[in-house]
Amino acid sequence: MQAHTLSGTVFGLEGMRVEVEADIGQGLPGFHIVGLVDRAVQEARERVKIAINNSGQEFPGQKVTVNLAPAQVRKEGTGFDLAIAAAILSCTVHRPLPKGAAWLGELALDGSVRPIRGILAISAHLDRSGANIFYVPPANVAEARLATSRPVHAVPDLRRLVRYWVDGEPLPDTVLEAGDPSPALTAVDLADVRGHAHAKRALEIAAAGSHHLLFVGPPGSGKTLLARALPGIMPSLEERAALEVTTIASILGGLAPGSGLITEPPFRAPHHSISTAGLIGGGDNTPQPGELSRAHNGVLFLDEINELRRDALEALRQPIEDGRLVVARRHGHAVLPSRFILVAAANPCPCGRYGDQKKPCTCTPPQRQRYQARLSGPIRDRIDLQVSVLRQPAAELLHHADGAESSATVRERVMDARARQRKRRPDGPLNGALTGTQLRRDVHLDAAGQDLLTAAGDRLHLSGRALHRLLRVARTIADLEGAADVAAAHLAEAVQYRESG
Amino acid sequence: MSVLWRNDPGYPVLLAAIADPPARLFVRGVLPVGPTVAVVGSRQGTPYGQRAAHQLAEDLSNQGIIVVSGLARGIDRAAHEGALTGPTPTVAVLASGLDPIYPPEHVELADRIAVTGALLSEAEDGSLPLPARFPVRNRIISGLSLGVIIVEAAERSGALITARLALEQGREVFCVPGSIENPLTLGPHSLVKDGATLVRTVEDVLAELPEAVRAYARAHARAPAPARADSGPQEPELAAVWELLDWVEPRHHDELAEQLRLDVIEVSRRLTLLEMGNYIIGDRGAVTRSRRRLDK
Repeated sequence: MQAHTLSGTVFGLEGMRVEVEADIGQGLPGFHIVGLVDRAVQEARERVKIAINNSGQEFPGQKVTVNLAPAQVRKEGTGFDLAIAAAILSCTVHRPLPKGAAWLGELALDGSVRPIRGILAISAHLDRSGANIFYVPPANVAEARLATSRPVHAVPDLRRLVRYWVDGEPLPDTVLEAGDPSPALTAVDLADVRGHAHAKRALEIAAAGSHHLLFVGPPGSGKTLLARALPGIMPSLEERAALEVTTIASILGGLAPGSGLITEPPFRAPHHSISTAGLIGGGDNTPQPGELSRAHNGVLFLDEINELRRDALEALRQPIEDGRLVVARRHGHAVLPSRFILVAAANPCPCGRYGDQKKPCTCTPPQRQRYQARLSGPIRDRIDLQVSVLRQPAAELLHHADGAESSATVRERVMDARARQRKRRPDGPLNGALTGTQLRRDVHLDAAGQDLLTAAGDRLHLSGRALHRLLRVARTIADLEGAADVAAAHLAEAVQYRESG
Repeated sequence: MSVLWRNDPGYPVLLAAIADPPARLFVRGVLPVGPTVAVVGSRQGTPYGQRAAHQLAEDLSNQGIIVVSGLARGIDRAAHEGALTGPTPTVAVLASGLDPIYPPEHVELADRIAVTGALLSEAEDGSLPLPARFPVRNRIISGLSLGVIIVEAAERSGALITARLALEQGREVFCVPGSIENPLTLGPHSLVKDGATLVRTVEDVLAELPEAVRAYARAHARAPAPARADSGPQEPELAAVWELLDWVEPRHHDELAEQLRLDVIEVSRRLTLLEMGNYIIGDRGAVTRSRRRLDK
């Protein structure tokens, strides 16, 4: 007796189709799984056997062989359990499996089906490669439905699967209700951040044009608080971006059961002791997304960026230049998306007091220089906005009654500015990633603007790259104001976000 | 590189007059001839101290006075840089040998100094900048000079040793004042209390030097007496911002916006216009008034 069906797994962020074949034949009783499988799949033998026995069925006392094809690709994880059990059960209850059905899920010993990671990516891939009906764990139904418009059935346990086949009893339509649309715990409303007007304006520009941003200030000056306010002024994710973010969360198992599309930009704040693998992503054979991909379409906040290890810092280069990471592993390479707004924070020097007139800094100039130089040129070149953040005097924090704008108000302006950029470049990058050639097309300066740009270049000794940064920021400032072209006033403001020194 | 012996005709007269002149000096470049004033101070100089040293050295250079300093980080560097901005050569006296240069990041500065001026050392090439060599070197700095200007020096610092040596050698001691909150002004302020001359401008220095030097300075003055940008801009909206700024203590955009009851965006725009007019120096959220001359 033979049965044949579909399942899948993930490699990087891509789904992979796996065919599951079961054969029950003559020979010594036994259960073998072949097809270049790892430990977790080998252990499926015990889970499947016991789950079937605990579901009112009997595991066949014959030679059972399961093959996972293509046999040359390494297969990891526990998501094949349900497909293997379904193939074996279809033989024992003599019911053919529906053609083109895909089975995804991990089995518990009592026969119930547990959620797995990466359902979104796997279903999307199987949908494209011919699967026409999906059987998934109840907790993953919502997720699978994001990826396919074909029927998706929840399989709560093997007992009910058998009843569905044998007695025609429909599978329960148990769609788990998503919990509250996760109230972003990290979000900070701009209205709650006192003072810091200059830094807040920089956040608005960063959100509008997707510019990378550096805060420099002594410890405890509010850099982290400011960074946390950034996702709240960014527009909700468009459908494609939301799908990408949800896929990554799904692969990492970070999706709450039953939850659907993630629509708010992610905020990731790894500690500065993070390893390169933690940033890029680990995984021995198949790449796992790291922090750089988790921050995709959102914000990556690196506090004390100068304390990051050199190799970890260098890992930032590819994502901030290309918006993606190419990761090579033994079984091929994967392209992981990682396009984020980098918010970096740094102390002015190792002791944190440089520039303070009253408490002089105790660092030697070479110490200070080494500290500053840790942020290498190529990374600095991509940081369009630099702002120094002052420690707020205690008095300021106590009585302060300015009508600070709420995040919602700022977000409106940001969305308008994004719409203007989309209109100019429907498929192109946002202002923060414009190249020199693109800038020449998008920025037309009048005589006054041209004069100011020349003067700024001369007086402030700005390099060509610094001038490009200036123009990118000025373009966003003009977009925030709703101006068609960049005027001298926009440039004048942009000058104040330049690099120090 | 050449070696200058004590009996050589080119040996500086002022230096030969001290109690323990070096028997031999290694020289890179050409030792310039003319009146000399030393400008020395802390390696940890604040931005204010470095600006002051730069400005005084530049003004001295514009009057034909040779600036002597120690090629150290901080104030010394600012003094050499300021002197190089003017037309007169500058002289650096090193505690280490002339090759390699210490500190290493000043190799390029040393090269520029040697084009018109000179690098001096009593130590052979390859000698390390050992702590014991610094006081010995400092007697050459003061010995070469008619007077020594101290800009920012902590108590018990090398710059104060130079000041003491200058007094022993019968040279003038000048001090640049600073904030009483800054520990680096303890040195110069206590020297002023003990009778050193307080220096505000280059004229304060010249006034204490012999009449012959003043005449020399008048004859060599390239630039007219330095006009300072101590008057603000004409435009009322720019003047309003400039009024709130300080020569020394930096202000931040946020403070200015608060005090002016203005949008930070508007403050940023005005600050850029002020920077373009050279009225202020902006350094990422730390804005001070500029003392540079207006070049228009």
